[in-house]
This record gives sequence, C-alpha cells and structure tokens, in this order.
Amino acid sequence: MKKRFTILLALLLSIGTILAACSSKEGSSSEKDGKDGKPYEIKWYTIGTPQKDTDKVFEEVNKYLKEEINATVKMTQIDWGDWDQKSQVMINSGEAMDIIFTNGSKYVQNAQKGAFVALDEMLEKEGKELKDALDPALLEGVKIDGSIYGIPANKEAARQTVYTFNKRLVDKYGFDVSTVKTLEDLEPMLKVIKENESGVTPMATFKAYLPYDYIFNNEMPFAFPFEGGNDQVINQFESDLTMQTYKTMHSYYKAGYLKEDAATSKDSWPMDVENWFVRMGDSQPYADLLWSRSAKYDVVSVPAEQPVTINDSVSGSIQAISATSKNPKKAMEFLNLLNTDPYLRNLVDKGLEGVHYEKNADGMITDLPARIESYNIPTYSIGNFFTLYLYETDPTDKWEQFKLFNDSASAAPTLGFHFNNAPVRSEIAAITNISKEFYPALATGSVDPEEYLPKYNKKLKEAGIDKVLEEIQKQYDEWKKEQ
Amino acid sequence: MPNKLNQTQTPGNVSQPLNLKKDGGDIKRKKVRNPHSLHPVMNSIVSIFLGVFTFMCVFPFLYVIIISFTSEESIVRNGFQIIPSEWSMDAYNYLWGVKEQLLGSYGITIIVTVVGTVISVLMISFYAYAISRPQFKYRRFFTMLAFFTMLFSGGLVPTYIVVTQFLGLKNTIWALILPLVMNAFYIIIMRTFFMKSVSESILESARIDGASEWRIFFQIVFPLSLPGIATIALFSTLGYWNDWFTALLYIDNPKLVPLQALLMKIEANLEFMRQNVEVGLMQQSLFDTLPQESAKMAMVVIATLPIAVSYPFFQKYFISGLTIGGVKE
Repeated sequence: MKKRFTILLALLLSIGTILAACSSKEGSSSEKDGKDGKPYEIKWYTIGTPQKDTDKVFEEVNKYLKEEINATVKMTQIDWGDWDQKSQVMINSGEAMDIIFTNGSKYVQNAQKGAFVALDEMLEKEGKELKDALDPALLEGVKIDGSIYGIPANKEAARQTVYTFNKRLVDKYGFDVSTVKTLEDLEPMLKVIKENESGVTPMATFKAYLPYDYIFNNEMPFAFPFEGGNDQVINQFESDLTMQTYKTMHSYYKAGYLKEDAATSKDSWPMDVENWFVRMGDSQPYADLLWSRSAKYDVVSVPAEQPVTINDSVSGSIQAISATSKNPKKAMEFLNLLNTDPYLRNLVDKGLEGVHYEKNADGMITDLPARIESYNIPTYSIGNFFTLYLYETDPTDKWEQFKLFNDSASAAPTLGFHFNNAPVRSEIAAITNISKEFYPALATGSVDPEEYLPKYNKKLKEAGIDKVLEEIQKQYDEWKKEQ
Repeated sequence: MPNKLNQTQTPGNVSQPLNLKKDGGDIKRKKVRNPHSLHPVMNSIVSIFLGVFTFMCVFPFLYVIIISFTSEESIVRNGFQIIPSEWSMDAYNYLWGVKEQLLGSYGITIIVTVVGTVISVLMISFYAYAISRPQFKYRRFFTMLAFFTMLFSGGLVPTYIVVTQFLGLKNTIWALILPLVMNAFYIIIMRTFFMKSVSESILESARIDGASEWRIFFQIVFPLSLPGIATIALFSTLGYWNDWFTALLYIDNPKLVPLQALLMKIEANLEFMRQNVEVGLMQQSLFDTLPQESAKMAMVVIATLPIAVSYPFFQKYFISGLTIGGVKE
C-alpha cells in the first residue's frame, strides 16, 4: 500500500517538473525572437468582437510587416463588454504584451501606475512620421505629467454637442431649427409635437447640457466654465445657470415632454425607431449623414456649443505600449507604420481587397458582405482616420472637413491636466455616491431644482467637497505654472 | 391518496377504509381521520400557499419564454407584455442564423460540465477522505489548509497570474475546468459526511480481509457515501454549467467560449452600447450583429432549458440517495 502511494507521489512530482520545464522553455524562446534575423512577434490586444477572418487578414499583414520592419503581429480582440475588466486584469497581472488599447480615465490611471511605456523619446526616432501626422492637440491632451504614454487615434479631436431633430417632423410643422441656441428655445416646438403627435416622445431622454469643462465627468461637481477665461475650479451645481437650466428641464418634465422614468431609464433610444423628436449627441463632420443612414430617415442637427477640445475627446481611443513589452521599439515601429502607411492602415481596417471590399475607378470603396459578417473592425479604435479609403457614399471632402473641424476647435481650460485623486480618495468616493443619487433626477428634470439643488449642495458640503476643490485648484495651479 | 395514507400508516384501522369505500360516507371518514394528516382547511391553505409560491418561481421563466416569442417592434413600442400585441419567431430565426457558434458553445459547456464534475468529485472526495481518517498523521494540517482558503483567498490578479503564467492554461479548455475543481466548502462537507457515515469498524473489517486502500475507498467508502457524493456532484454540475467568469478571464478564442459566457458577452456588449452611444452611431454596422431584446430571451431559454429539463431525472437519484442516507443506522 505504502509503495503505491509513493509511486503516485513520485508521478505527481514528475508531472509538476515537466509542466514547469515546459513553461520556462516557452519564456526563453520568445525572448530570443527578434534579436537576430528572426521576426519579432508583436502581441496586440484591442477592443471589439473577435472576427472570423482575422487570421486570414493578418497573414497578409505579416507578409508586409516582415519586409518593412521584420516583425509580425498577433492581434487579439476582446469583446466590447469584457474589455474593461479583462484588460485591467491583464495589466495588473503584468501579462506579457506589446500594444494595448485604452481610453479615457483608464488610460490616465494606468499611465500613472506605470503600466505603459513613455513614448516621448521614441516619437523622435521610430515614431517621427507618426508624430508629424498627428494633430498636435491630440498629443497635448494625452500628456500625463509631461510625458506621452499612448498614441491617440488621429480623428476628430474636438467635441461638439448638438441637438438632433427628426427632419420629417421639422418639415411637417415648418419649424426653423436654426434659431435653436439653448434649451429654452425648444419650448414652442415641443409643445406642438406633444399636442399633435401621439406616438412620439418629444424629447428622447437626455441630460441637460451645461457649458462646463469637467474634471471627471458631467455628474461630478468639479468644473471650469468654458467662457470667461476662468482659472478657478467651481462646483457647477451652485451656479445660477445650472439652476436656470434645470428649472427649464423640470418644466419640460412636468409638461410631459420626457418619459416619466427619464431619471432611471437605461433606454438608448435607437435611431432606427422613429419615436422621438429631439435628442442630444456628440457630433463630427457629416454626422447627420451617418445618422440618417443608420436611422433610414432624415435627421438634422444644430450645435449646442462651439467645438471644443477636451481631455475626453482626445483620449477616446489610444493605443499604448505596455511596460511588459519585450521590444517596445518594434511596437513603436509598427504603430508608426499603422498610422502613416495607407496600405497597412486600410488592410487592418477594411480587410482584403476583393474579399472584404471592392475598389472602384476613383479609388473609393464599397463593403462586400464578408466585411460585415467576418471582418467588422471598429475603425475608431485602430488609428489614423485620414489615410482611410472613402466609401462611395461618403462626401469626397470628408477628411478635409475633419481637419477644418479640428482647427476650428478651441482648447478647454483643462486640456492636458489630469487630476491625481490619491490625496482625496475617500471624499471623492462619498461625492460619487451622492452625485449618483441626485444628478440623474436633476439633469432630466424629474425633480424640482428649487428644492433638490440646495439639498444636493448641502450634502456635497458635508462630504468634504471644499477639500477636493482646494486640492484640484492646487494641482491645477502647479500644472499651469509648468506650461 | 388519503386512503392510501390511512392504510399504510395506521395499521389498526385496516378494515375501516374498505368499509368506507362501499358506503361512500364522508362523515364517518372524518371521525376516523388519520391523526398524522393535515386538517382539510389547513391542507388547502398550505396547498394554495405552495401553489402561489410555485407559480411565483415559474412565472419569470414563463415570462422569458413569452418575451422570446414577442416581435421586437412590439417590445420597443409597448415594453414587455404578458400577452404581446404581436407574436414572432424572429428571435429563434436569429439563433438559427448563429447556430455554429451556439452549437460550439453547447459542446464546450457539456464537455466542461461532464469532465469537470467527474474530476471535481474525485479530487474533493480523495482530499476529504484523507483528512477524515484518524490514521492520517497530518490531517489537522491539511484540514486547516483547506479551511484557510475559505477565509482568505489570493484574489483575482494572483489567481490570474498562476493560471496564465505559471500553469500556462490561457486559451485552453483546462482553464475552464481546473480553477473550479477544488472547493474548500465541499471538502469540509464531505469530510464531515465521511466521518459520520463511514464507521471505522467497516474499514477495519475490510482491512482484515486484505483489501487495499484503493479497494476500500472505491468499493466500500464510495458506495456508502453516495448521497453526499451525489450532493456535491449536483452542486459542481450546476457550478460548471453556469460558470462564465473563468471564460471571461482566460478565454480569447471564440471557439472555446461556453454557453453562459456567450450570453454574458451579449449582455455586456449591449450594456457597452448603451453607455457608448456615439461609438455605435459612428459605425452602425458594428452593433447590427448584436441580438435584440427578444433574441436575448430566446438565448436564455435555450441555455436554461436543457438543465431545467434534465434536473427532474437527476433529482430522482438525488432524493433516493438522500433517503438511503437518512434511513441508514
């Protein structure tokens, strides 16, 4: 009996040793790659639903890359919904990878933690062309403590919030939407729609727009006003403008222009269902065209603000080089090529010519069914827009308009400023909870601001908002001095 | 039913029920009522209560089935309805369209569940048996070791590092099986079960007859402990069938995604779309492939139905196993 157990034990131990040996061998072999002659394999994790034809397309990509930079790329897509959690675990566990997609506050946090490689030096050498191709505002926006930690996708750099109208209803009642400048201007139209169109909700649920530059997001009470060249951070919920706007919103709510569950509803109001009159959204050049196409009826937009470059609008899509990369320079060479070489950019984005798309005589393209079914890549996450082929249905000056749009935008006061919340973490946690309770109800007009705004502000005071405002101001002043 | 109960449980009145059948007199029957049965009023109250309760348990699932047969148009206009204004088979047509992925995921789920349960039951009972035996010198240490993991766990990131970098399981089917094999709580249950239901004297007599340790375990301890083993087998079957989190962490390859993880993915993608409306608006085709509300419900139906249908069959063995355990000694 004892003998058998000993044998079993020995067996188990030897299996363990074999497993350990296997894994260590793997590690050493991948390190060797790329040093001499052998192409280095770049591991690239990006967002989006995994596609069937990825291997097919990347065979072609790798053929090209081997010649150009002596490297190959293994692209792994992680599904939209899984992305946040999975990418965070991968970063925290120090998994070996070269390039990883990131955006917004995740980018800032991970860069501050040291998960990404600072790219400034490489942007002067390996990424020289890339740096020249990018809009300077984008690079300014992704700087953290003076260094660049990721390559933003060169696309629309600014945000412009618009009111979008259902054109059929606008025409039917002969509204002049160009006169709309503020929330108050909507009133007469909403009234007509409410009285005459029974199947239509006048306002597709949205949160009232306020002209502020937010430190975190629109529901947190820390903001710089866009206008007036103000260097002072404030709680925007204490301003008269906010009270005024929310009062208007509340009167709309009481009049039944919004759905009753506006504050809690998660309804996304899909465009292709024609049950709304006005909605709010972020625009880009020719957005109406895109929206009309996906809605299958016409929509028309009027701006609620001038285009403005904010941290969120420049950090919507970033490819960063992981600190665990064994060969960051190769990764940079690849990113450089991806953003400047039209052939590679279109190959990665649109797939193979003749299989996934067709090109006509003018160099414009049409998707074939295979592109939608088996190689549907999210364009915005990959990189530079300006080297993409245009679709036959696109206006020919699309990218020129993008450039004009970017140039016309003004920089927000906090562009490039990233608040480090470590000193006031517990206050911010408390304030987040309070905001989650009050903001949705107030911003959709579901409650009376005369009563609830003071209540909200009182609770914020108790949670220590003054301390946080002070800390933000301190960090902001320091940052401003360095500029 | 009440007659039958009378006959079996009150042997003293054997002749009475026979007479009753002939007379058909209900009044007499009341007098000789079985003292162990419920009062008719109480009986109906309990029955109504249980009926309502059962209905409340079943209703959500029925509702899901109804929604899965509702047309998308009617969901958008009127929300969920118990009797939809428009019926439709679109959701199931959609699922038929993605049958390759669905069948693949079904296969993965079944393999993982079967293989996982077998390994899991074996490992847990081995461990629990060892620490239940007084002859085992280090049983206190190993009990503590298992118990310790119930109170403190390594956390997500260290677990991830062990599985992906140390064991190299990423993107293999073992990543779905091995992390769930051992469960400290089940080990403790089984240990208690072995100590209570397998007496030392049986083992001793087996040993005197010259049985090896393996033989004692598989031919004596195992059959004696079937009720306990059936319990943890059922738990771990459900655990494997419903598990999606390990797949989220360790699987990138769409061919290895189990059914529940597929469902979760769709749900999470819809949530992402809600929060990032602008991404969807700029490239509509990305989300055109996502199923609609009714299709989601149809997926829930086909993911739950197999286990719900097969459960009563398992349950039969499960209950008989438990009764054997209760009657013993």
